[in-house]
Amino acid sequence: MQPTRARTAVYYLILWLVAILFFLPVFWILMASFKTPNDILAVPPKFIFQPTLSNIIDMLSRPNTVPYFINSLYLSITSVSLAIVVSFLAAYALSRYKFRATNFLMFLILSTRMVPAAAFVVPIFQMFNAFQWRNQFGVLMLYTMFSIPFSLWILKGFIDGVSTRYDETGFVNGASRLHVMFRVVLPQVRPGLIAAFIFNLIFVWNEFLLNFILGGPGTQMIPYALAVGLVSAGGNIDWAFVASLSTGYVLLPTVMIFLFQKYLLVGMTFGTVRGEV
Amino acid sequence: MSTINIAQQGEQAIARSRRSPLRAFEESRFFPLALLLPILFFFVALNVIPTIWMIGMSFYSYSLMSPAPPSFIAIDNYVKIYNDADLWSAFSRTFVFVVLAVGIETVLGVLLGFLFWGSSNMPGRRLALTLLFVPMVVTPVASGLFWRLIYEPTFGVANYFVQLLTGSKIDFLTNVNWAFGAVLFVDIWMWTPFMILMTLAALGSVPKAELEAAEVDRLSIWQRLWHVIWPHGKFILMLGVLLRTIDAYKTTDLVFLMTNGGPGNVTELIGLKLYRYAFASLNIGFSSALAVILLLIAISFTSIYLWVLNLRRYREGA
Repeated sequence: MQPTRARTAVYYLILWLVAILFFLPVFWILMASFKTPNDILAVPPKFIFQPTLSNIIDMLSRPNTVPYFINSLYLSITSVSLAIVVSFLAAYALSRYKFRATNFLMFLILSTRMVPAAAFVVPIFQMFNAFQWRNQFGVLMLYTMFSIPFSLWILKGFIDGVSTRYDETGFVNGASRLHVMFRVVLPQVRPGLIAAFIFNLIFVWNEFLLNFILGGPGTQMIPYALAVGLVSAGGNIDWAFVASLSTGYVLLPTVMIFLFQKYLLVGMTFGTVRGEV
Repeated sequence: MSTINIAQQGEQAIARSRRSPLRAFEESRFFPLALLLPILFFFVALNVIPTIWMIGMSFYSYSLMSPAPPSFIAIDNYVKIYNDADLWSAFSRTFVFVVLAVGIETVLGVLLGFLFWGSSNMPGRRLALTLLFVPMVVTPVASGLFWRLIYEPTFGVANYFVQLLTGSKIDFLTNVNWAFGAVLFVDIWMWTPFMILMTLAALGSVPKAELEAAEVDRLSIWQRLWHVIWPHGKFILMLGVLLRTIDAYKTTDLVFLMTNGGPGNVTELIGLKLYRYAFASLNIGFSSALAVILLLIAISFTSIYLWVLNLRRYREGA
């Protein structure tokens, strides 16, 4: 039976409604960031209102907001880039040289991402206190480690998929090992690099507990700002501030999953399942 | 350029590079180890050493609240955990949370995943999927706050509709009967899209030829599910369920922001409980012991996950 145009239209309409339904709670906060504080607290809730930019201007003019954004961007981009470099070297070695412990090492490194943050933050906290690492350097190192498992898994998967014949052809033509790694293999695993970069960026961008516990000035990121900076002078939650900060914050992950949607699956499974949706 | 020229150039390049010490190093057996060195540095410094330290601490009585120096008490911390009724109830609460959250997300995700299966030609599909998948890439801190605004008893939009329907309001996050369900609902909102994603991936792993053969053979929908889709799709679906299980068991930020474990302790999940022992009561020895137990649970889940992953590789040759 061939579906008619009308049936297809209804089907697509239903899908769109489902998608919008899931987005509604986020949309509600986006709307709140354009409402005056009084409109946010209005009973009954206002669905139609006079939009204003004053919350966003107020948020940006607070002394800490811009540093939070800069911290978030700086820490996530730097640590993820570092993690990808480190992981690429290791992924190439694990893929091309046969070590007996390869599978075990891959398992151990993946399992570090499966542990509740609260469990390993206790010793890290003590260690960072002892070494006085509770600064940008320490947090950067920690986020690099945090981004390594996924980068390693995804890059090893991709390098395994590049036939060793490419390497051999390179060697026969007199290329050095490093040349083969960076000029022959690297260009072929570009999708893996992009996926690892984008999704680790989102994960570090979203990380809260480690940042909350270990962070100090210079390392505090937006989720920290949301959790800590939400109380206004009266002791109530400052919803206008929370809403406008969230709006600015949600932008990056949303744009990323729009632009890089085909890497979503590999991203959300830490590189263990490949494919597109 | 002739072939001979290229060959000559190649030979010259080989001759040049053979002289370099870098080349000698690249060909030595230390080279692969050197490639692994950076990752091993991070892994040892930030995982192995802290873990060993944590295991060591778990055998000590050590609290930052008391002036007493750490003293070795063997397995007393573990005995205390075993006898701590509060912890057992946090474990069972977490268990209920995980089972309900993952169960409901799986059922909803699979149903909606099937619904989205035929959507490849939908106009604006990319935007629709972005809207659908946003909940899972928003930090739990932010979504916790979003839902606090929605659940808010006086001006929250949820209560506006509740009042329209029932005439009275519900204090979702501070009412003992509602708080757990309210947090659970948010988790379901956040992660059902993930199960939709995994279902779509699972359906995508079914070979098109087999689906077409089923079409030609006019198999019933149940026969198709059982004989064609399930044998291929089950692995990825199972991986999704396991990943969700691991993640739901870690839930800390969300309850921290939404209810901070309250009212009473009805939403106090094990991750939050551990956080409290470590950073509110500063009981390092005891919280290390608890952390070791949580670590073991996580490692066993990870092993199951990798077992399924290898099973799939083996069966599918993928």
